[in-house]
Amino acid sequence: MEAYRQEIILGAVALYMVFCVVTGLWAMRRTSDASDFFVAGRGLGPIVISLALFSSTLSGFGFVGGPGLVYSIGVSSFWMITISTAGYALGFFMVSKRIRMIAELRNCISLPDVLAARYGSEAVRLLVAITIVLGVMGYLATQILAMAVVMQAILSGTAMFADIGLVACVAISSTVLIFYCVTGGIIASVYTDVVQGGIMMVAGVLILLTAMSVFDGGMTEATSIILKDDSEAIMPWGSAGIMASLGWFFVFGLGLAGQPHLVTKMMMNRNISDNRHIFPLSVMGYVLAALLWVSIGIIMRATVIDGVIPPLGLPDDAASVFLSVFTSPLLAGIVFAGLFAAIMSTSDAFLNIGTAAIIHDIPKAIWGKNIENELMWARIVTVILAIVAALFALYSYYADATLVALLGAFGWATFAASLFPVVALGLNWKGATVPGAVAAIVSALIINFGVQLAGIALPYGVSGGLLSFVVSLFLFLSVSLITKPPVLDRDIDRVMDI
Amino acid sequence: MGRQLIYVIAAICAAMTIILFLILTAEPVTNAGGSAHPIFAGMRIGGDGLARLEHIGSLGYAFQALLLSLIVAFATLGVSEKHRTPRLRAYMIAALIFSLFILWQMVSSHLNFIATGETTYFMGFPTPTAWAMYGVWLGGIPLVLIYTLGFRQFIYTDEDQAEFEKLVAESAAEGQETDNNPEEAR
Repeated sequence: MEAYRQEIILGAVALYMVFCVVTGLWAMRRTSDASDFFVAGRGLGPIVISLALFSSTLSGFGFVGGPGLVYSIGVSSFWMITISTAGYALGFFMVSKRIRMIAELRNCISLPDVLAARYGSEAVRLLVAITIVLGVMGYLATQILAMAVVMQAILSGTAMFADIGLVACVAISSTVLIFYCVTGGIIASVYTDVVQGGIMMVAGVLILLTAMSVFDGGMTEATSIILKDDSEAIMPWGSAGIMASLGWFFVFGLGLAGQPHLVTKMMMNRNISDNRHIFPLSVMGYVLAALLWVSIGIIMRATVIDGVIPPLGLPDDAASVFLSVFTSPLLAGIVFAGLFAAIMSTSDAFLNIGTAAIIHDIPKAIWGKNIENELMWARIVTVILAIVAALFALYSYYADATLVALLGAFGWATFAASLFPVVALGLNWKGATVPGAVAAIVSALIINFGVQLAGIALPYGVSGGLLSFVVSLFLFLSVSLITKPPVLDRDIDRVMDI
Repeated sequence: MGRQLIYVIAAICAAMTIILFLILTAEPVTNAGGSAHPIFAGMRIGGDGLARLEHIGSLGYAFQALLLSLIVAFATLGVSEKHRTPRLRAYMIAALIFSLFILWQMVSSHLNFIATGETTYFMGFPTPTAWAMYGVWLGGIPLVLIYTLGFRQFIYTDEDQAEFEKLVAESAAEGQETDNNPEEAR
């Protein structure tokens, strides 16, 4: 079996991609209007929603960047994932019920739709839509690039595709992504998410078991090796220190409830009462999948320090080296399919909300009405958006990475800082005002952009994301408290009493 | 705790802003955010744990305690005001105490390690890290239980469901549900 390692891995990935294409074709028959395309007609069951929710949370970053971060800075990055239980809790306590109610009452198909209804403001709709489009471009470009790089690594290991280029890999991976997103919209997206989530959970558990068998003394021996080398790396704050860790704890914990690709999925369930099952299922799925992040990172750092394997060229090589050295070809195939699943499940969610912002929200905010034939335009814009992101990814790889890095700042932290107060607090506090929402969004964008553009390194590892989040929350609350309380639409006012 | 909750949240946020300002202006410590590993490229080390916490350790712990309080306050805000009963408040306070207990165990065991250089292990990790790894993860479980087991009591009661269904029916009758136009809904 070992002699066919690359072929087995390639077969697992190819099988997975064929599944995505078939799902797209199947979902196309269930997509008849824009509501089906963007929010699955609000008819999804609890298992589908919970798997879609957690698999979209853990992107390719969790499978590649996560283990790389543990290899590089030790325990510090654990804080991004240990907060997930509380993070999901805030999403469900603060967002899931009311976003679903407003979506049904006002027939909303996007997050900006819901917020425009809540605040009675097209300015809020426009600002949120622009934030989403900027974030989507950065996210999509990096995800497509990651997908292509991994595909090139797999294909170049086989005799037939030894010389395949990155452009061809971008084309293949983007084509599959575009195909099922265009044909089946969010229905294809969430049903592929179900399988993607399943693969990620299985991969997480199997990798943990493999990792525990690398050293005779199991994980305890691995962590004690790291402890002897540098105790801080394996102590609670890791190499990056207390404020970097708490920054991630803050941004990833509270920020989950402000991620547009996640909260949009909370609009899609058939019954509001399903939330009581969706919440624990999502948490369980995320915890199982995140085992991969923790276990690979720890084992790779320990094995390099112990001299078992040579130092890695890059921290992000941690997962691929672990798979090639310590796992069977079959498990490596499952995990690589899981990696593609993680990347695609996040990408399709972003493609969906980006398209909604462009063809639904921005025109509506500017011209006050929907465009004709939204479904057709949704499919066209999905293709264009994915192609632009793919070109953008290639440009950043071959020419200049600055622009993607800049838009990369519009990642999780910016969504968290700019949207959490507006979404999570706005849906639960009648006193939240339009000036408060505008102040929160604008301040978050300026601080994140400013810190990134100026290349400012704050003391003690404090991140721009943490600073912008704290300032944004403070401004949202203080500006709302000093401005005139809004008169809410009657139906929104009643929803906020339920 | 009804409408005052938002003031509690505002006060916590203000306190966190002040603490963050104090940390940013505290006396700097070299390599507080880690430094390159002397042997392995791509790895970073933390170095002297005591020195890194010397000027900001207490502020960091206070920041984290406030953050845990903020999470519970936000979760409480997410419960409709009419369902914020004494029982719910008791559950939320218990959830906060549980989280703060885990924080205290983690911090005290880490400081003990820094002082003595000795640590025990629990499920594969040094005890302070086990508190951070398993404890913090479990710290959110009470909120999961309150939401899941108390769903029909605090989150979405039968009366809430009936009220929402009535609202949907009224909106449908008024022709509001399809036009998605806030102006007409006023």
